Amino acid sequence: MKSLLKLGILPLLLAMGLSTLVTADEVKADSINGAQLWSDTCMRCHNFRGPSDLSKRAWKYSMQHMRVRAGLTGKETRDLLAFILESKTKQDSK
Amino acid sequence: MYHSHWAYFLKKLENRVEGEHMRCIIVGIALSSVVVSTLLSSQDSAPEVKKLRQEVDELREMISKLQRQKKAPGYRKGSDADISINSELARLNETVAELRSELEGNAKSGFLLTGYTSFDWTDAQGEDNEFSGVKFAPIFHYQYGQLFQFEGELELILKEDGETETELEYAAGTLFLNDYMGLQMGKFLSPIGQYVQNLHPSWINKLPSNPLGFGHDGAAPTSNVGIALRGGLPKVFDTRSNYVLFVSNAPTFGVADDGDVVVGASGKTTANDVSKTFGGRFAINPVSGMEVGISSATGKIAEKITVGTDTYNISRDYDVYGFDAMYNVNGFDFKAEHIEQHIGENSASTLTGGKWRAWYAQASYQFTSFKFEPVLRYSDYHNPEQERNQWAVGLNYLFANNVIAKLAYEYNTDEDDDTVNSNANNNRVLAQFAFGF
Repeated sequence: MKSLLKLGILPLLLAMGLSTLVTADEVKADSINGAQLWSDTCMRCHNFRGPSDLSKRAWKYSMQHMRVRAGLTGKETRDLLAFILESKTKQDSK
Repeated sequence: MYHSHWAYFLKKLENRVEGEHMRCIIVGIALSSVVVSTLLSSQDSAPEVKKLRQEVDELREMISKLQRQKKAPGYRKGSDADISINSELARLNETVAELRSELEGNAKSGFLLTGYTSFDWTDAQGEDNEFSGVKFAPIFHYQYGQLFQFEGELELILKEDGETETELEYAAGTLFLNDYMGLQMGKFLSPIGQYVQNLHPSWINKLPSNPLGFGHDGAAPTSNVGIALRGGLPKVFDTRSNYVLFVSNAPTFGVADDGDVVVGASGKTTANDVSKTFGGRFAINPVSGMEVGISSATGKIAEKITVGTDTYNISRDYDVYGFDAMYNVNGFDFKAEHIEQHIGENSASTLTGGKWRAWYAQASYQFTSFKFEPVLRYSDYHNPEQERNQWAVGLNYLFANNVIAKLAYEYNTDEDDDTVNSNANNNRVLAQFAFGF
């Protein structure tokens, strides 16, 4: 197990590094996918935080934090953020 | 020819630096390749800012054009054309102001303060009830676009004697190399299992106490100092998954102030003359609301021993295994986790190694019509000196999803300690007010 873990880490690092060269161009956020992710992912660990709980600016930073904590991809993080910001009402969209 | 040159070079290098150093160099080369390849494929991380700038430039050009028209020969103030141009200029200036404000809101660099706090009351068998805990845990976030993030959590706890205990829970920067990988550096919460890294904050934990063995110096490692690669992976057969791989300084083994033999698996900034810990976690999300993860780490654990007047470090084998599962569906929430730390033997020490094992299973339900949440948890903790278990039943009231009052009763049993009113056998009533901000 030990040697398997040690031996496994290095090729994985290399393979993942090389995979960045062929990363798909996924810049545009998809709020519909974000809505699905919101219902699938967030409540697994904690109670829902409503879109109006945080400001637009705070959501941007919080989602990047959740990217690390929840093991989200960059695209999933952008989709979730797009959904949350679109869901904010005009009154609370500071 | 090139291959033989490389082989010769590597052979020479291997002869010069052996063992640990060689591994460090290889890890370094691997990480460098990750960073370099990412730089090669770097993209503009803020296309929306570029677009906004372009719009502002276009509007400025339109304003200049209108102003030029006003200076043209034959132009008359108060004419219909003048009124129309003035009205258009006012509208354009307003639009420019709005876009400027939006541009400022789009700053790449920013800072956010979040965190949580809790206030506890305890009534334990054989003891007077007391206001038993005040905890304040601010979390500092700094972000530079989608490229870099730093976050650090301080845990400030008021002790029995009124002094404040301060601990740096974690402080780590993450460089996002691409959509699927972040390189984390610093002190980070242990990726073994889920409770320690994601569920321990008091506004998230559904009971006022930690499951047995999942606190500091228990069976579950708490943090690491080192580097980690982590992120989400592309979907395979419509299933999401995520991973963490890490290399960190070794934990320590020894006797605590209270006489207990403990595994000190919180991050330290010294290698203690023993080899690093290598580990990781892989998890999948097979259905909506579910995550199942396995984790493991291996390496050496350091122990300080004294012979005569000399103190030095010895090492033992160190292996950790973890399994965790979470499922949230229709108001029901299920969580379970099992973690084992195996400590090897070393004949130079008087302490014996063994297995530090803890597991728990928890179920709760959130009503939709009113804001109560009943919780039931069983937890079990074993180490070579203790065999403890606990049933905990609780009821939470959610003033808001991040403002929670908890009331719980714990049935505690220590299989190896039948002393009446011993600390580990005392049942307790616990209340907690927790707030996440």
